[in-house]
Amino acid sequence: MRRFSSRPWFLLIITCLAALLGLAIVLSIGIGATPVGTRELLQALFDWHRSNTNAVILFEIRLPRVLASALVGAALSVAGLLFQGLFRNPMADPYVLGTSGGAALGAGLGLFLLPRFTFLGFGTTAAMAVVGSLASMALVYWLARIGGKVPVVTLLLAGFAVSTMLSYSTYFLVLLDDNFGLRTRVLASWLTGAIAVPKWSQLEVTAAMIGCGLIVCLPLTRRLNTLALGEDYARQVGVPLEKTHLAIILAASLLTAAAVSLAGVISFVGLVVPHLARLILGPDHVRLLPVTAIAGAIFLVLADTLARTMLAPSEIPVGLLTAFIGGPFFLYLLRTTRREYTL
Amino acid sequence: MIPLLEFVNVAFRYERGSVLEELSFRIEAGDCVALIGPNGVGKTTLLRLAAGLLTSSRGRVLMAGRTVTALPRGEAARMVALVPQRFEVPFDFTVEQIVEQGRTPYLGLFTGFKLRDRQAVERALELADVASLRHRIFNELSGGERQRVKIALGLAQQPRLLLLDEPTQSLDLGRQLDLLALLRALRAEGVTILAAMHDLNLIEGTFSSVLLLEPDRPLLQGRPEDVLRPHILERAFDCPPGPPVKLVADKLFAIGRNR
Repeated sequence: MRRFSSRPWFLLIITCLAALLGLAIVLSIGIGATPVGTRELLQALFDWHRSNTNAVILFEIRLPRVLASALVGAALSVAGLLFQGLFRNPMADPYVLGTSGGAALGAGLGLFLLPRFTFLGFGTTAAMAVVGSLASMALVYWLARIGGKVPVVTLLLAGFAVSTMLSYSTYFLVLLDDNFGLRTRVLASWLTGAIAVPKWSQLEVTAAMIGCGLIVCLPLTRRLNTLALGEDYARQVGVPLEKTHLAIILAASLLTAAAVSLAGVISFVGLVVPHLARLILGPDHVRLLPVTAIAGAIFLVLADTLARTMLAPSEIPVGLLTAFIGGPFFLYLLRTTRREYTL
Repeated sequence: MIPLLEFVNVAFRYERGSVLEELSFRIEAGDCVALIGPNGVGKTTLLRLAAGLLTSSRGRVLMAGRTVTALPRGEAARMVALVPQRFEVPFDFTVEQIVEQGRTPYLGLFTGFKLRDRQAVERALELADVASLRHRIFNELSGGERQRVKIALGLAQQPRLLLLDEPTQSLDLGRQLDLLALLRALRAEGVTILAAMHDLNLIEGTFSSVLLLEPDRPLLQGRPEDVLRPHILERAFDCPPGPPVKLVADKLFAIGRNR
């Protein structure tokens, strides 16, 4: 298959994707339980005050949610790309490896143990999500690594075992909740993955976390290309392996935690999006990073729009939708990727 | 004159017992050296010691007079390149993208490819005769093409010493002879080569000297015609007296020269 790997193609693809993202955001703001027409939309844009119902719907409910889904999609996709590069395995993804589960458990613990403490509208959940995702990642990495190598089978099994334990631990938190109130509902939606309407302050914190994660991984993209040729080779040409692995894990865990604290555990986004990007662009991580981020944002904006409009006025959790798309895709990859890649 | 690579009484132990003992030899700039020896005697270990990827338990490995493991990793990688025996790439990189990785020791974390990096990659592609394959996907190439791409990858590092681990492994006769022609061309270009070889028939005519690594015996270094003698090889490789190795080699090279 001839890939669109030349520079002009890359620039064209990036431009088209950016335009597409803008279009998807505008489209999904316009669609919802309460119909708002194009004229009202434009009107609301120029006539913004609280008494204008349309403006409130658009800018306090729909826009934050759409931006949240864009952020979550970008973060999860890039985290998936980083994990796939790190483990040299096209099947790695924050959901499969249990990083999302760890972040959810961390966020849940934050919600239960320190519910009163809030910082920028976020409480301890975001910070605890980072701790949870890092801890689960460290555990999976340690479990899967055998004699300096990470075979695919042990990686997937370790990820499966850890993420199962983590999600049941999160369910256990529900039992501890005495009054089946708000926290239970929050936890339940975290486990299926649903994008709630966030406060603007939440969006700011998450965007900052995702920004940090992206900045950390920008200089790592070329390292990921070198790592693809094997750890031994990378060491030989002077890549500091431990530092590079640590930086990749930190960036990917931060991105996952940011996504989970906004939307809970959304499965397989980090698997599908980088894979499709790689099919079109080839495996160069330097180019894959921006393309994956934008494509991930588009993917989740569209998926969430579908999730909240398909059975309107009731909503499907978007995690359910991505599981229906991503699950079969994962199995397809498992079937076609027969070679056993190890570090 | 300081030799390019020098082993001084080097010993190396893995956790389970020792592999290499008391190794001393030198390689001068411009040499093309074949490293031979029975399976499991530690040829790959020796190459990894020379590349500074392993640290000797005793003795010193000197690269142009400096201890190779004391050099910063990036600097060592600009002096010596090791082309690995096994090389698996999980994604569909093109040949050009693979060879570009050889420039890693020259790039900072934030600096991109410069003109001299581009030129080094072009030169490596041409020297290894893979320029026409540059847009092909590495995983879809034949064994012989892959070996040449791996050599280009090593050359892109612009090393003073190129270490090759079994470059003719799993190639058919024709591709083996192609590869030897490539090594001779590199030698003519002034590239210093140390290659672990398991096919003894391929050594004469290409390599300037031979290192014979034997278990429990001192290393033997000499010209191919002096080392590749039936009584030495029979002892080293523990095989019964048979048709002299030299004879087979002569026949092969008659074929090789006519190509």
